[in-house]
Amino acid sequence: MSAVLPEVEVPESGDVLAVTEDVWMALLGDDAMLVPRAVPPGTPFDATAWSAATTISGGWQGVVTVELDEALARRLTTRMLALPADEEASDSDVADAVGELVNMVGGNVKSLMPGPSVLSLPAVAAGRAAFASDSALACRLDLVWQDAPVRVSVHVPQEGPR
Amino acid sequence: MIIDDSRAMRSILRRIVTDLDFETSEAEHGQAALDQMRAGVVPDVCLVDWNMPVMDGYTFITEVRANPEWRDVTLMMVTTESEQRQIVRALAAGAHEYVIKPFTPDAIVDKLSLLGLVPA
Repeated sequence: MSAVLPEVEVPESGDVLAVTEDVWMALLGDDAMLVPRAVPPGTPFDATAWSAATTISGGWQGVVTVELDEALARRLTTRMLALPADEEASDSDVADAVGELVNMVGGNVKSLMPGPSVLSLPAVAAGRAAFASDSALACRLDLVWQDAPVRVSVHVPQEGPR
Repeated sequence: MIIDDSRAMRSILRRIVTDLDFETSEAEHGQAALDQMRAGVVPDVCLVDWNMPVMDGYTFITEVRANPEWRDVTLMMVTTESEQRQIVRALAAGAHEYVIKPFTPDAIVDKLSLLGLVPA
């Protein structure tokens, strides 16, 4: 984790990891654990990806983003929708499932921070996440689940303290 | 009735309550749920997300509670909104129970049991 703006309260990376693990276990079970992955700072997410973001605004402001390997996003969707093994999830289904994933991670990150705040509806993209030029990285987790990379990021506004 | 804008989440909840022998209907937001209820589909219990487009879960609860004909409908929030202030608001508006996502199937069963909707 890199706290870019010391005057802005940012979530602890260990807390964000705990939230992510809880969501992962609920959605994908405990047959495999999320494990850390060493990635140099500033490295873009390196997988063919789906990404989703949710914005927290109010007493605390930030953006929580989840980026997923394509195969993992489809596995997550298959699991959430309980699709038969031979049925492929549609892109619409994947967008729905990945959006719900970031909704859960973001909602629980919100609960870690000062409030009251409001959580936006998720925005989902097939591809890497886009970040606002006026935001700064506050927390980044690079993880692996069953050989598939996952990244969870929290960005905060670069403006001064609230 | 399962009210959530995520098809995936509705699917998860549907499997849990179907295993408990509930018959289900679904709505993608509060307004769609109200439309169904005004058309005569009045459920025993609603599992209600908070953050949804068109009409959020909190507004849905206040609308249901404003209609005396629906006083027997049990309302359970199932949401990522875990701030204590939000939980208090929902309960004050008329929600009977509150489950925070992510949840286990047992958490849903336990809450429905507390509400007397499934055997303990």
